[in-house]
Amino acid sequence: MPSPPTPKHNHLLGALPAADYARLLPELEPVQMVLGQAIYESGGPQEYVYFPTTCIVSLLYVMQDGSSAEIAVVGNEGVVGVALFMGGGTTPSRAVVQSAGQAFRLDGVHLKDAFERGGPLQSLLLRYTQSLITQMAQTAVCNRHHTVEQQLCRWLLLSLDRLPTNELTMTQALIANMLGVRREGVTEAAGKLQSAGMINYSRGKITVLDRPKLERRACECYAVVKRESDRLFARNEAPVGALA
Amino acid sequence: MIENSLLAALPGAAYRRLLAGFEPVDLSFGEILYEPGQTISHVYFPGSSLVSLLTLADGHLALEVGLIGRDGMTGVPLVLGFKESAVRALVQGAGTASRMEAGVFMREFRRSPRLQRELYRYIHTLMAQISQTAACNRFHVVEQRLARWLLMTHDRVKADRFRMTHEFLGHMLGVRRVGVTKAAQALQQRKLISYSRGDITVLDRAGLEAATCPCYGIVKDMHDT
Repeated sequence: MPSPPTPKHNHLLGALPAADYARLLPELEPVQMVLGQAIYESGGPQEYVYFPTTCIVSLLYVMQDGSSAEIAVVGNEGVVGVALFMGGGTTPSRAVVQSAGQAFRLDGVHLKDAFERGGPLQSLLLRYTQSLITQMAQTAVCNRHHTVEQQLCRWLLLSLDRLPTNELTMTQALIANMLGVRREGVTEAAGKLQSAGMINYSRGKITVLDRPKLERRACECYAVVKRESDRLFARNEAPVGALA
Repeated sequence: MIENSLLAALPGAAYRRLLAGFEPVDLSFGEILYEPGQTISHVYFPGSSLVSLLTLADGHLALEVGLIGRDGMTGVPLVLGFKESAVRALVQGAGTASRMEAGVFMREFRRSPRLQRELYRYIHTLMAQISQTAACNRFHVVEQRLARWLLMTHDRVKADRFRMTHEFLGHMLGVRRVGVTKAAQALQQRKLISYSRGDITVLDRAGLEAATCPCYGIVKDMHDT
């Protein structure tokens, strides 16, 4: 059996200098994230931030009539609950576990203390916020201009990057919900990817068989988002906004 | 005199300090403040001007993801730790703004916890606007979205008449020109706007509010609270 993930499996926590990490460690609480579980409801209170290690959380914008569309995915590269340190209170989005696994949570009071102290944690959280903004904006333009098939490729690749395996447990209804399209659209797009030998889809499990091909089929939006999260941890870029 | 409400919300001392570093500028329609990947040289706090944030796909397809007026600022990546813009910032409504050189601004930012709090809060509102725009684009028809866009512009410009070409609106809404033409004609037939040669006049604001999707009210509430 593989050893359970430690907070360091989350890239933000893993990038902290030893002293900052040690200070935070006693406050981090491991939690199991169950598929479909809502961590926050739209407009609801947020008590904790979550640092995913092996799970993926989807941020969905919920319309008044109940329909929803995914605006970002957060995995081990990020944190769920940006509103808590940005001071915005609630958000209009809903955070739902899209792939089961583990996360570490930190209560809002500790988080705010740590954030306001400045230093590397603050700088990482702010930089992550920028990459989240880019992801949201790119998702918006992707929704507008690209086909369901391209969007599905983007979505699969973003999910895979955040998972330890090449397998996703996922129903078509759930994917339709994420992409904000009808189920038939997803069935058709998944069917095409399957007959092209890129994925295998059966009984709610998607296995990616040919990743390079999937990357070629995806729109550029995947690369834009990936570049942005890679940039987050790039050492050569001086964090000008970091507060001493 | 600074007309930007984000700056005006700062307490007296912080505000006066900051004020000294600003340079008043007039922004003209169509002016590009930054392109994606370009270094941000100045931050802009719009007064009567309006700046659109556009995300590009495939090099030419654009979509407006955020709109910045007197309630906001451009140059958010600086505050978050990056020197380059991720989007195109395009002047969509000519008018006044106050600008400050990026390095000077960041020094002021680092020494003012109050300014930090204000701007973090603002960025959070901007994120809500972006995510909301993403969902709106997905679900609502062009006519509703055009009405929303006109209302948001109207709120920020504080004038009933503004200049706007079809091509430009197409970029904003992420649709082709004919889509814009059809939607604008529909609003005109309902006597909500009049549109001629790139001049749009809002005739019936309440009517536009009834014609738009709920997204308009949601984003407005976020900014007002």
